[in-house]
Amino acid sequence: MQKENIVPESRDNAFRDLIIKTPGGRNIPTCMQCGICAGSCPVNHEMDYTPRELVRMIQLGLKKEVLSSNTIWICTTCFSCSVRCPRGIYPTELMETLKPIAMSEGIRNRNAKFDNVFADVIKKNGRASEFLLISKYSISEPGMIKQAPFGLALFSKGKLPLSIDKMEDVRELDAIFKLGEKSVDKEAKESTVAKESKETAPERSPKENEGQEAEK
Amino acid sequence: MSEPKKTGVYLCRCGGNISDAVDLQSVADSLKGENVVVNIQDYLCSSAGQDKIKSDIEKGKIDRVVIGSCSPKLHLETFRGMVKEAGVNPNLLEITNIREQASWVHDKDGKDSVNSKVKGLIKGAVARMDSIEPLVPLEKKLVDRTLVVGGGIAGITTSLEIADEHEVILIEKQPYLGGHMIGLSKTFPTLDCSQCILTPKMVAVHNHPGIIMHTQTEVADVSGSPGDYSITLKHSPRYVDIEKCISCGACTRKCPTGAIFLPFAQAVPQAYMIDMSKCDHCGACVKICPRDAVNLEAKEETSTISVGAVAIATGFEPIDPSFIEEYNYPSPNILTAVEFEDMLSAKSKTGMRLQKADGTFPDRVAFVLCAGSRDFTGKGRKHCSKVCCIYSQKQAQLVKKMKGDAEAWIFYIDMRSAGRRFEEFYHHTQEKGVNYVRGKVAEIIPKQDGTLTVQYEDTNLGRKGREIFDMVVLCPALIPSSGTKELADKLGVQLGDDGFIEEKHVKLDPVNTLNQAAFAAGCVLGPKDIHDSVTEGISAAHKVSQFLGKGMILIPPEKPMILECNGCGDCVKACPYNALALEGRKAVLSLLACTGCGICVPACPIKGIEIRNFTRNQLKAQLKAMLAEAPGVVVFIDPYAYAAADIAGVNRKQYSSLVRFVSLPSIHILDADVVNAAFEYGATGVMLIEGTTDEKLTLSSDELYKRLKKDTRKHKKPLRYSHIETAQYEKLTDLLNVFASQAGAKAEKRSRKEKEEGTQEGIAEAT
Ligand SMILES: Cc1cc2nc3c(=O)[nH]c(=O)nc-3n(C[C@H](O)[C@H](O)[C@H](O)COP(=O)(O)OP(=O)(O)OC[C@H]3O[C@@H](n4cnc5c(N)ncnc54)[C@H](O)[C@@H]3O)c2cc1C
Ligand code: SF4
Ligand code: SF4
Ligand code: SF4
Ligand code: SF4
Repeated sequence: MQKENIVPESRDNAFRDLIIKTPGGRNIPTCMQCGICAGSCPVNHEMDYTPRELVRMIQLGLKKEVLSSNTIWICTTCFSCSVRCPRGIYPTELMETLKPIAMSEGIRNRNAKFDNVFADVIKKNGRASEFLLISKYSISEPGMIKQAPFGLALFSKGKLPLSIDKMEDVRELDAIFKLGEKSVDKEAKESTVAKESKETAPERSPKENEGQEAEK
Repeated sequence: MSEPKKTGVYLCRCGGNISDAVDLQSVADSLKGENVVVNIQDYLCSSAGQDKIKSDIEKGKIDRVVIGSCSPKLHLETFRGMVKEAGVNPNLLEITNIREQASWVHDKDGKDSVNSKVKGLIKGAVARMDSIEPLVPLEKKLVDRTLVVGGGIAGITTSLEIADEHEVILIEKQPYLGGHMIGLSKTFPTLDCSQCILTPKMVAVHNHPGIIMHTQTEVADVSGSPGDYSITLKHSPRYVDIEKCISCGACTRKCPTGAIFLPFAQAVPQAYMIDMSKCDHCGACVKICPRDAVNLEAKEETSTISVGAVAIATGFEPIDPSFIEEYNYPSPNILTAVEFEDMLSAKSKTGMRLQKADGTFPDRVAFVLCAGSRDFTGKGRKHCSKVCCIYSQKQAQLVKKMKGDAEAWIFYIDMRSAGRRFEEFYHHTQEKGVNYVRGKVAEIIPKQDGTLTVQYEDTNLGRKGREIFDMVVLCPALIPSSGTKELADKLGVQLGDDGFIEEKHVKLDPVNTLNQAAFAAGCVLGPKDIHDSVTEGISAAHKVSQFLGKGMILIPPEKPMILECNGCGDCVKACPYNALALEGRKAVLSLLACTGCGICVPACPIKGIEIRNFTRNQLKAQLKAMLAEAPGVVVFIDPYAYAAADIAGVNRKQYSSLVRFVSLPSIHILDADVVNAAFEYGATGVMLIEGTTDEKLTLSSDELYKRLKKDTRKHKKPLRYSHIETAQYEKLTDLLNVFASQAGAKAEKRSRKEKEEGTQEGIAEAT
């Protein structure tokens, strides 16, 4: 893996500040790089950056590397890192924050395929269908052919139903998806706005904010 | 008091610390027309600043002083000493805190609001200064004896350093002296043997004619006042008379259950003891003892001592790491560093051999640093335990020394080896072939065969690793020893939010506490090594000697005056310190017993009692002038909670600039007269905040609050009581913010309603 030097141009402070403002990001500046998150992660070896490295890259604002890393797609949301982090950082939530941002920035990652197929199936039918999921994913991911015997075994035991459940009125779901997309767009826009405004407000803890609001 | 009174007001810029947030010139201008001289200085505490005040006094321009500066905690004594030299009664100088409690804590509010707060505070202080009288502090004879609590290296050093000049009573809750140090193997950074350097000191304590030593002893109760304490000690039974026992060991040989034993060979005092949970009362030891030293019927005893000063050296204890689930402590071969040291110390139960649960030597040992330290999630402790980085390297060296081909691995986050000789020690340990891994251990998994799998990320490489060890040593967070809080509460000593004792000043008064007669040394002030514990022991001893050397203690002169008395005796009943008595149908005060708490003030049905310089009229004058400048939230605050507000300031915890502190010796001097006056003069809300842990006062706080609430109801303005200990400064600022906003909202609603009613009245008049 080729690693670029870190120079001022590689850093994007607006990106860093945006992530710090998200629910899982508040404590990012206090990460001490202890690595208990990565040491606890069951799929760390599949990731191109460990959860610890991802947090470090956010501290530095290395937007491109963060958003194109496969780490965010590999994470199984097991929460081991989050319960052990001594600084109250939630790497798991970070992954969930970063995925839609990566998508709206048009960054493709082959590890995102499963998420995409899953979303497609839901959008079309309103319900998950294991059969559709597996067959569609297998088409887009040739490596899945190796799993074929396993799939057949499941099928022969009746664990892989061929039925495709569908919602009565999928349009209702469409509306929900539209709303979701809108908010993702908004977030992306905010990220560019934040980038443009040179000065970013100093971060306050929610507790302080509460106090301030109460005062008003 | 016929002489003309003229107050000089001196405002300090504090090199920008104050003047950046407060427009001092406008504050000075706002005092025009008052009978005062105003002056602004860059640094009032500098000699130039002080000379200015002094020369104004000497020229006869002023005879009273109000200072607007940093907290009185820092320079009040200096300034008062200076005016005394210039011929002014020290009580006629007061400090208004416009730094910790103004310029540092209102960043979020507009400058105008901060300015008007400061103007109000200063005007209040000027009005107060006009009304108070010169007082002479009372003198009380000190008891020339010190109690040292804790017989670790810090307490031992403190005792020895004091004892040549003043009597010492040293108490230790264990059956032997030495604290943690007697349980250490070698000591970093020089690797000399711990008991070899400690034993001579323990023996010296034992033999010193000026030191009375009690083991298995704790403080049960404290009464009296600084300089003259009466302290009740609780002695647990040892069942063997220390004076009689000659350590011949005859008893041990006879005892069928192994209940009677010598703690360890070098233990001081040298005497056997009985573990009653093992004893079956056969009496064999009683019969065999040639000195008749054994008494199976011994009971817990108490004794009362009289001392002038107390030095607290209760040290630390390791946190119990079992809350860190992923480390699986306790399990065979997973131990704490303290347990590791124990095995190789004078107290060793393994014959000073390092061994696993099965008795064999561990060939692969891992040290897991920061186990429970540096944790901001609330599960562990925030602070760094300071000594573990170095002692773990010492322990790793010992492993290598005991067996050359044994492996020692240190898992660290940051290798903290600041301090003389420590980086060299680190380097030397590296040279010995110890493995260092930068990464906090993620999991320790015990296996069937007694070995342990350790999983981690090597953060230097960004790769996960897994190793198998025979023994894993956890370096636990070091926390204040249990019982420290109870002791501190009894002595009116404050703790920080980490539970360690709060120094009088973090940097400049490191072994003094807020109680002038209580001092501290060693790990009870925070984790540290032997060198620093000893240094603090010597410092504390010096401070104690200095304090006792004066022979007298000045007690604050703000005591009750009994102006009128019908002999009802209500005050006598109310006083929790038995300082009042009826003599010939008149209440009389015992000045030395009185603490100035003021409970007697509201207790007197004919308002015949006032506290000097905190009379109802003096307080009202201050409130009136303060609130005339701008309305605000009046917060009556006692000295302990005041200290919390100062810490909030030092930490720049922000809160509403509507808050106006009014400092009182205790909130219990308040009655409805004063609180109603505050409301009438424009307070939007009133808070009573106290921090004292003296139960004699806090037990009646609820009643005080309820009474005031009832008697001030007519104003329909919020009143609140809260107990805030010094460590709880964050709670304090949260509370102030919430209360200020509630009071503000209520005031707004009221004024809207009044306006509405006003217009309605207007309409009614028109028609
Ligand atoms: C594993 C480990 C290894 C270490 N190795 C080294 C080293 O190699 N070199 C070095 O310089 N430092 C070392 N240290 C640090 C050293 O142990 C401390 O600096 C030193 O022990 C502090 O002494 P102290 O008197 O302040 O506290 P302590 O040793 O804790 O003594 C406090 C004493 O007070 C008693 N006590 C507590 N509460 C009460 C009470 N309420 N009433 C009466 N008595 C009470 C306790 O029983 C104890 O005897 C090490 C620490 C640890 C944890
Ligand atoms: S566990 Fe927390 S503090 Fe440690 S490296 Fe991971 S995110 Fe940073
Ligand atoms: S939540 Fe994700 S990143 Fe965290 S440990 Fe689990 S898989 Fe790894
Ligand atoms: S001294 Fe070292 S091991 Fe101990 S808490 Fe501090 S950083 Fe961690
Ligand atoms: S001020 Fe307190 S201690 Fe003194 S006499 Fe009154 S009630 Fe008693």
